[in-house]
Amino acid sequence: MHHLSRRDWLKLSAAGVVTTSLSGWLGTLAADTAANPQRKRSCILLWMNGGPSQMDTFDLKPGHTNGGPFRAIDTSAPGLRISEHLPNLARHGHRMAVVRGMSTKEADHGRATFVMRTGYNPTGPIQYPGIGSLVSKELGPTDAPLPNCVAIAPYRFFNPAAYGPGFLGPQYAPLIVGDNAQLRQPGQPNQQAEEDYGKLLRVQDVDAPEEVGQAHADARLNLLQEMESDFVGRHPGVAPRSHQTAYDRAVRLMRTTAAKAFNLDEEPSAVRDAYGRSLFGQGCLLARRLVERGVPFVEVTLAGDNGAGWDTHAQNFDVVRLLSQVLDPAWGTLMGDLEVRGLLDSTLIVWMGEFGRTPKINPQQGRDHYPTAWSTVLAGGGIRGGQAVGKTSPDGMEVVERPTSVPDFLATVCLALGIDPLKQNVSNVGRPIRIADKAATPIQEVLA
Amino acid sequence: MSNLWSRIVLGLLCLALVCCSLRAEPGAPIDDSAVLAGVIDHYIGAGYAAKKAAPAPLADDAEFMRRVTLDLAGRIPRNSDVRKFLADKSPDKRRQLVGDLLESPHYVNHMTRVWRALLLPQGNNPQVQALAPAMEAWLRKRFNNNAAYDRMVRELLTTNVVQTQAMRQALANGGPVDASGVAFFQANDLKPENLAAATSRLFLGVKLECAQCHDHPFAKWSRKQFWEYAAFFSGVGPQMAGQTSGDDQGFIPAADAAHRHDIKMPGSGAVVQARFLDGKQPAWKEDATTRAELAAWMTAPDNPFFARAAVNRVWAHLFGVGLIDPADDLREDNPPSHPDLLDALAKAFVANHYDLKFLIRAITASKTYQLTSAVDGPADDPRLFARMSVKGLTAEQLYDSLALATGFETGDAPDPNGAVNGTVGSGGARAEFLAKFSNVADKRTETQTSILQALSLMNGRITADAVSLSRSKALAGVLDSPFMDDHQKLDALYLCALSRPMRASEAERMVKYVKSGGPSGDSRKALADVFWVLLNSSEFIFNH
Repeated sequence: MHHLSRRDWLKLSAAGVVTTSLSGWLGTLAADTAANPQRKRSCILLWMNGGPSQMDTFDLKPGHTNGGPFRAIDTSAPGLRISEHLPNLARHGHRMAVVRGMSTKEADHGRATFVMRTGYNPTGPIQYPGIGSLVSKELGPTDAPLPNCVAIAPYRFFNPAAYGPGFLGPQYAPLIVGDNAQLRQPGQPNQQAEEDYGKLLRVQDVDAPEEVGQAHADARLNLLQEMESDFVGRHPGVAPRSHQTAYDRAVRLMRTTAAKAFNLDEEPSAVRDAYGRSLFGQGCLLARRLVERGVPFVEVTLAGDNGAGWDTHAQNFDVVRLLSQVLDPAWGTLMGDLEVRGLLDSTLIVWMGEFGRTPKINPQQGRDHYPTAWSTVLAGGGIRGGQAVGKTSPDGMEVVERPTSVPDFLATVCLALGIDPLKQNVSNVGRPIRIADKAATPIQEVLA
Repeated sequence: MSNLWSRIVLGLLCLALVCCSLRAEPGAPIDDSAVLAGVIDHYIGAGYAAKKAAPAPLADDAEFMRRVTLDLAGRIPRNSDVRKFLADKSPDKRRQLVGDLLESPHYVNHMTRVWRALLLPQGNNPQVQALAPAMEAWLRKRFNNNAAYDRMVRELLTTNVVQTQAMRQALANGGPVDASGVAFFQANDLKPENLAAATSRLFLGVKLECAQCHDHPFAKWSRKQFWEYAAFFSGVGPQMAGQTSGDDQGFIPAADAAHRHDIKMPGSGAVVQARFLDGKQPAWKEDATTRAELAAWMTAPDNPFFARAAVNRVWAHLFGVGLIDPADDLREDNPPSHPDLLDALAKAFVANHYDLKFLIRAITASKTYQLTSAVDGPADDPRLFARMSVKGLTAEQLYDSLALATGFETGDAPDPNGAVNGTVGSGGARAEFLAKFSNVADKRTETQTSILQALSLMNGRITADAVSLSRSKALAGVLDSPFMDDHQKLDALYLCALSRPMRASEAERMVKYVKSGGPSGDSRKALADVFWVLLNSSEFIFNH
């Protein structure tokens, strides 16, 4: 199958041919997964760095002067229409709920990033954890061979703290692969550019340096273990124990076959093509591989070539079209792949950025920051798909139905994952902090 | 010791302490700090007796040196200094070492970073990062002059917040930034309620912020008291009300109505007047600003919170656990473990003009601080201080220690701004390392390690270079030394990494491994393996 071109693959999979031919060996896995009531849910966050334009993706206003040139197309769900540049995704409309009433307060990249990813304003000494750390703490076993929280190609410059584990501590920190990899993508004219996306998405430092050799690497770990048992025996305490745990998990990751999840070369070339040979596309493929292996939280960032791809102050339509062409095959294939494997029902997919963009088109054919009325998408597990909730005015300037705040949204994400949004964690200042603010009103109508 | 006897001794100690601090003859034979150290040991000792606990033995010279160097200079000692210290026969060499460390530039650097992190806990936020160099420069000046702590806090509280224009320009041009405490106010968003919560927590050791929103049935502080305290900062605010996001440099141009002292409580809309936490009303004077009134009350010698909070913070810095623990949470249902000791330390601190170095000399001279951390058997309550706790290193301590152990860099980079906070994208091995190892745990006895941190220490470039046969510095120096046998080479590596010679109990295993050359039969490679093990060991990663 690996000799199929991407075009062939898309044709075949659109026709259902591929799905059928794969079902032979996938069917068993899918049945197993579905039959296992113990299976915990997973979450894949698709993070759109820079703030994606809702008017040109999921809340189109064709015919209005604010609308821009893009047409809306039908999805598999009657009445739910999205951008013409998202045709693959449109086939999964019945599994998607578009939240069109997002209404938030921050229009600065750094602060908005923090608020959307933590649910709280970045003030005071409290170090709020990111959503990935919060979710994986609830869903992940502490002894899994793979880390419970993985961030793929994040571009953290707007607000590094928004990606951290905050007061939950480093044991809940995301394992980051491809940090700022946007700048090292294949073909980028700089010294650090990689020739292959797969290389960018490997776990940093997971292998001992080649010059050491396996035998010496193993000998080192044995010597270290003896030394450590001496020390820990005579120094009980939280810090040394946590250190021990981290080393155990790191060594397990180095030695386990589970770490092969990060090796995209294992995938048939046609599959890699179907996701799109882009950082984001390959990131989504990696996300699928991780979720298959039980990782509860994975995020993939789409940030274009410069890190803030969706920040389309100029040439909005050209840029959004190009980004959509990266987003669509990746996300569409991800939905299909998860479904075939029986994982879509237990995997929530969240699509969001830090804010939306102005309905009014500026003189540079761009759109500026706009938190007042914008869109996010929830899809897959725990979600009643095939609908849009919330509504904006005909000019897109305001939310006229079901305004959704950040806490509302994050509480909905929690409920879709089977997590109590009101659960409290003890913060670094000793005060308990809820996962989502207690003022949150979850969007009940999108929950399955 | 009988109870009576111990009381007499204590009385004498306290008397000596008071006398010494009153006496000003040059060359006085008794060092106040040594007396205070005796007071510490007395009260801590009484705690053991009450709980029938036995204190650990004293730490040996190497353990003490590594600990106190990390605590005061923010990095491990140089291996040549370890050799010298171990060979030194003078009886007061520990006190001497502390004196030397307190006068070293590393003390200034380390304290600057420690206090930067306390004052700007939002350090990961890019806006605050832009301001951090000004805050660091401000702190650096004060630690360089060993400014009295009360004065330092008064100066911070009365910072002129409307001086941002020059700083804005300096930041925009990337030039050096003037020392200024304004970053503290900016980091608190120029909001009275944030400043109230931060200053009460930092300088009074009380957490008022829970009372910001509502009264709590068991907490001492009412919501009204919170806002009365916040009213001292009511003059501070953004120039244009309602604008909160600031410009690219994180600056919200500040306004200061310096004599305003009332504030509207949110919700009820009631206006409250500034009032001190002890219930007293300020006597408003025309020539004193509102914040100056607060600063004067806060740092007055009879303030019931200020000196206690300060000595407790220094205690927590040195022990990892405060006498009040958490260090900034004094309340009736969270009493100090040793209230009499806390009082005695606070009194001595005030009597010695809020001299931080005096306090550090006293605590580090105590037997309590000098107990070993290594004890067989189960852990007892760390608040008994019957052994030294294991403390996690800050990212900066770890990086600078790695640099010193492996010889890849001389430790502190000479940066005029002291801009050392790790920023994603700001480049440089140090910044990258600091970003990866940043750890927000307030309690250093409870720091945690992430998988990526562990992988980085095991397989990352810094370790790889340090133990590479072709690229290492410290290791190469040892490997190529013609006059050392395997045992001596191992000793040298232990001194570099762990600041101690190899123990006899370790020698057999390690010498055998090196002689065999490990799996490849190459004893140079085997030595590199041992160095790798030492750098990855908990003994290296922690302060103990």
